Amino acid sequence: MIVGEQKTIAEIKEIIAPYSRVLVLGCGTCVKTCFAGGEDEVATLTSALRLAYNKDAKQISLEEFTVERQCEDEFIQEASAAISRNDAVLSLACGAGVQAIAKRFYKVPVLPGVNTTFIGMLEKHGLFTEECLGCGDCKLAVFGGICPIARCSKKLLNGPCGGSQNGTCEVDPETECAWQIIIERLTSLKQLDNLKKYIAPKDWRSSNAGGPRKLVREDHII
Amino acid sequence: MNNGSYSRLQQVLSKGDFAVTAECGPPRGTDAGIIQKKCSLLKDCVDAVNVTDNQTAIVRMSSIAACVHLLQNGIEPVMQMVTRDRNRIALQSDIMGAFSLGITNILCLTGDHQSFGSQPDALNVFDIDSMNLIHALRDMRDSGTDMSGYKLSEPPKMFIGAAANPFADPFEYRVLRLAKKIDAGVDFIQTQCVYNTKRFWEWIKMARDEGLAEKVHIIAGVTPLKSAAMAKYMAGKVAGMDVPDEIIKRMEGVPKKKAAEEGIKICLETISFLREISDVHGVHIMAIEWEEKVQEIVEAAGLLPRPQLT
Amino acid sequence: MQPNITIFHCINTFADGNFLPVGDNVNCELNMVKLPCSGMVKDVFLLRAFESGADAVIVMACPEGECRHVEGNIRAQKRVEWTKKILDEIGLDSRRLTLVNISPGDVNSAIDAIQQTISSLADFIPNPPATVRETAVA
Repeated sequence: MIVGEQKTIAEIKEIIAPYSRVLVLGCGTCVKTCFAGGEDEVATLTSALRLAYNKDAKQISLEEFTVERQCEDEFIQEASAAISRNDAVLSLACGAGVQAIAKRFYKVPVLPGVNTTFIGMLEKHGLFTEECLGCGDCKLAVFGGICPIARCSKKLLNGPCGGSQNGTCEVDPETECAWQIIIERLTSLKQLDNLKKYIAPKDWRSSNAGGPRKLVREDHII
Repeated sequence: MNNGSYSRLQQVLSKGDFAVTAECGPPRGTDAGIIQKKCSLLKDCVDAVNVTDNQTAIVRMSSIAACVHLLQNGIEPVMQMVTRDRNRIALQSDIMGAFSLGITNILCLTGDHQSFGSQPDALNVFDIDSMNLIHALRDMRDSGTDMSGYKLSEPPKMFIGAAANPFADPFEYRVLRLAKKIDAGVDFIQTQCVYNTKRFWEWIKMARDEGLAEKVHIIAGVTPLKSAAMAKYMAGKVAGMDVPDEIIKRMEGVPKKKAAEEGIKICLETISFLREISDVHGVHIMAIEWEEKVQEIVEAAGLLPRPQLT
Repeated sequence: MQPNITIFHCINTFADGNFLPVGDNVNCELNMVKLPCSGMVKDVFLLRAFESGADAVIVMACPEGECRHVEGNIRAQKRVEWTKKILDEIGLDSRRLTLVNISPGDVNSAIDAIQQTISSLADFIPNPPATVRETAVA
């Protein structure tokens, strides 16, 4: 899923400062799961903002609304009426959701309330970890299902580097060395030979380095 | 291993002489005088001098430019090049430029992560890794082509080096990685500083058993300790460094003003240990901001004069 | 004006907090919210209590290791800490929100906690600030 984190209240206050009627718009998919922008977070943020404005004796009108998925037009439409009642939308979706709203509602300022951080997994309740960079050319089969592009701090394809010690990354001792895990996993799979082969430089064209990407599914386009 | 001769360092090694290299960090500024001063301390006591490439991700004068200053001062440089800051386009271009300026040794590194440096807010590159860089250099030199396969006019012909850390984890995998570097085309290896001689010996034995030691020149790294505090700092804070407790105890066991002397003594003992190992072909003395001691160490180790080449 | 305190309490602490004999000892307006477990408390409930005019909010949870739902009181503690961060971000002084662990039926500890809260209220501005209150009344 896409993982995100709500911006600080101070930053959100600054972003919405020019507007007097703001729709706080949540998304019920990824950002809900990571506690950044679902219905509950919309309620909490709105309450916190009201308290903050009240404390400063300032007036603002905040409306709450959450759609199932902000990156799909079909769901966005449900928010039309609420959007038209307000001066601006504070979107708690990921960057894709924010831009989907911007595309659909040409004249409405859309503001981000969340920092989109990574594609990750729920490692345990309350802990999310980055697992994928979306490079467009998956080689997990070679690396025992552990991605060195996303999980090695230096994106090494022929790792590990000299800084791997006691299974942790030199950049942050709280981070596991991806290469240590790759080696352990391939050893247990009896596939360590995968690493004896030289791995050639990555072709980054399939990644974002090739410019904005598009996926076309002819069988679904009418 | 290539047997043509591109550099003085290569000639020393292929003659079977025990090579001595040192290290020079470029200044954080444009003062070439600082490099000249370091050159005067290192001249005639080593075969070549490594020039670091923004080491520990601190912005310094470029490695290429500093290498040229070394050449002008009569010292053969080993240009270090990290893949952290440049993509493959810039790396290849800089390699060609460096060779055109007379730089004939290169040490391929991935580089310290920028989060350790003076500008942790920078974006890193890591387009390719050090293994890929070695491969690219070998292809340039031996096939005369760049990474796209384009035939170069007068391709760069460099003596290709890489680093190895016999002390990092996972230990068993370190030899496999050495094998990969050799396959990729590396001619010489400079290792992380040796303090843990036992573990270094285990690593050499593994390399020997795998038939790797004979395929590459291994130059072992040493760093003289200045103080007990430095020993403890390196043991605890420097990634991939292995300083055993007995070394720290030795440094602590002498009065403060004798500590530097003790550090040099340890360094000399390590060098004589390394010279006994037939698969170690040289020593790389990394006297960090202590270049004035290199001459003394090389002399005391009985490694002077350096071989004169024709 | 009497301070306004909202108390979220676990039903295992008090079956019904409204019985608390605070009237004689304590000069404040109390709003009691019963929860099947303190772990059901959420950041938004706590914030809304402040929005509704509470000067302070107390969460009364079972002592550590005594939650019938194993970790409800630990969750409550975590949520209270989270909400305290939000209050500080807003500038509303997080000290006005506390969690106290209280053994089942320990009325005296509960009253102590309330009294302590009232006396600490003197240290920080009321919620909402007096100026806002006056504006609202006017």
